[in-house]
Amino acid sequence: MHEYSIVQALYDKVAAHAAARQATRVHEVRVRIGELSGVDVGLLETAWRTFRVHTICETAPMEVDRVPGDDLVLERIVLEVP
Amino acid sequence: MCDSCGCGDTNLVPIDVQQRILSENDRTAAHNRHHFVERALLAINVMGSPGAGKTAVLEATARALSGRRLIGALAGDLATDHDATRLEAAGIRASSITTGSACHLDAAMVHRALHHMPWSDLDYLFVENVGNLVCPAVYDLGQAANVVVLSVTEGEDKPLKYPVMFHKADLVLISKIDLLPALPDISLDRIGESLRRVMPDPRVIAVSARTGEGIEDWIAWLAAQETHVAPAHYAEAGGRDRV
Repeated sequence: MHEYSIVQALYDKVAAHAAARQATRVHEVRVRIGELSGVDVGLLETAWRTFRVHTICETAPMEVDRVPGDDLVLERIVLEVP
Repeated sequence: MCDSCGCGDTNLVPIDVQQRILSENDRTAAHNRHHFVERALLAINVMGSPGAGKTAVLEATARALSGRRLIGALAGDLATDHDATRLEAAGIRASSITTGSACHLDAAMVHRALHHMPWSDLDYLFVENVGNLVCPAVYDLGQAANVVVLSVTEGEDKPLKYPVMFHKADLVLISKIDLLPALPDISLDRIGESLRRVMPDPRVIAVSARTGEGIEDWIAWLAAQETHVAPAHYAEAGGRDRV
């Protein structure tokens, strides 16, 4: 169950981008997860829904692009800025 | 606010990020690797199930390399320092990484542990990961190679059930082969067949830590890896060529 560690790293990245642009909310997070990345997408989604509560990502869905290979990549975020 | 028409909507800004989620771990791993290469230290990430025989293989390695190579180990476990105590008794300079609830080691844990154990004079550093066939495969620690220990009692199809771990292995040590006479249903050939289906470049050595069978092949594999770690350093050091 390292998916919570992965989500922690993912959240830290998203939060840093949001802070750099003084965003008030994160609308969407899109990740690319490889079949051989060693990450279970279902567990990752559960971890994300648990972790995002009371954060700037509270309402941000995590969209997952599943690909071959071992990618574990934050592709894109959508920020709400003032 | 939306500047273009004054409608009052907030601005939604898409940002194309394209960064590895574990880039922070990768950065620390690169830092560890830089230290290891600078000191011509061969660092090996040893993974496998709980009870696969990782510690026993390292004890046998220490016996075989006594007087030939100076070796150290970091032993990761959720609790206790039993493995580090066993490794020290075998003549390995060892330190524990107690992870609490974490199911794997990451590069930062290894880096912190290196601050608590003298390591720069070592020839080999084994990082004995937390017993687990899933999570440790995901985290780069700065190692030169991944070795997975798979015991004959775990079943012939383990590599097919946990393909990511075995896909990442540079070498698989099939351990406890001294038990084979008691396991008539287990065949080394069939374990090897499973491994060939998931390893891109299958390299497998069958060993028994108890009898020492296969250990010299494993030692020779380790010696061959030394050329991958800053060969120039080995040439300059001269005295390191002790095998």
